[in-house]
Amino acid sequence: MALAVFFVAAAMAVLGGIGVVAFHQPIRSVLSLVVVMLALSILYLLLSAQFVFAVQIIVYAGAVMVLFLFVIALLGPARELGRGRLRFQGWLSGLFVVVLLGLMWAMLQGVQYRQPDKTDLSFFGTVQSIAVGLFTTYLYPFELTSILLLVAAIGAIYLSRKRIDDPEGGPAEGLRPAAGMGGNLPPSEK
Amino acid sequence: MSSMNIGGSQLDASWFLLLSAVLFGLGAVGVLVRRNPLVILISIELMLNAANLTLVTFARQLQNLEGQLFALMSMTVAAAEAVVGLAILVDIFHTRDVEDVDDLSELKG
Repeated sequence: MALAVFFVAAAMAVLGGIGVVAFHQPIRSVLSLVVVMLALSILYLLLSAQFVFAVQIIVYAGAVMVLFLFVIALLGPARELGRGRLRFQGWLSGLFVVVLLGLMWAMLQGVQYRQPDKTDLSFFGTVQSIAVGLFTTYLYPFELTSILLLVAAIGAIYLSRKRIDDPEGGPAEGLRPAAGMGGNLPPSEK
Repeated sequence: MSSMNIGGSQLDASWFLLLSAVLFGLGAVGVLVRRNPLVILISIELMLNAANLTLVTFARQLQNLEGQLFALMSMTVAAAEAVVGLAILVDIFHTRDVEDVDDLSELKG
């Protein structure tokens, strides 16, 4: 049973991944990525990672993907014309990936795993066990993560603020390389 | 040796690792081939997800919880990366008309 679940989820993930690369419109790429994330969450459940499964659905498929969809809705339908500029890079990237997969396959043939730790698998991966690890041994990285999120939030607010010298909030007269001083000089200094 | 007993059937850890490698390769192709900056960000998310699958697989294989904890950390980093990357993209798209990542070459010497 778990075998069938694995292969269905793996096929979903690979098809979604192909969709991410192959679709021309960005919104279809985003929706394909949602399919990949849902398939991966099923695999996390197979690997007895219940909490990671929940976080994957709520944070990734819920929040991050909705963010991508908002940005696409904000920017309008983007057109992608420049593929003709690529001469040989497409073939080169295909070759690169085939070599990568070949190396991975060759490595997995003779791999020896160390003996697994003896853990109670009924407790493994639950919210309780994750919390014990996160709030005792890994408390310091966990607190550092909050600083990372704070920095990211401040950075996003700074980047998307309205320019003070630009009442429209957008490009008034074309490119504006003179805004290299930080771009938000008050009008009195101009 | 590397098989895991999941729900009564034997699954091999290397299958999960190989699936993760395939997803990572697809993401790498997306970054290398696609020219839309938004799609490049989406492909990077795909690669981060593939890495997460590897972490969770090894956590289950070695029955050690640290892999799952690190996967949670990497999800946080991915969320922060998406937020900052999308903010930069929105700012760039507001300032000029960009169709291609090659149009953003102001820093080229």
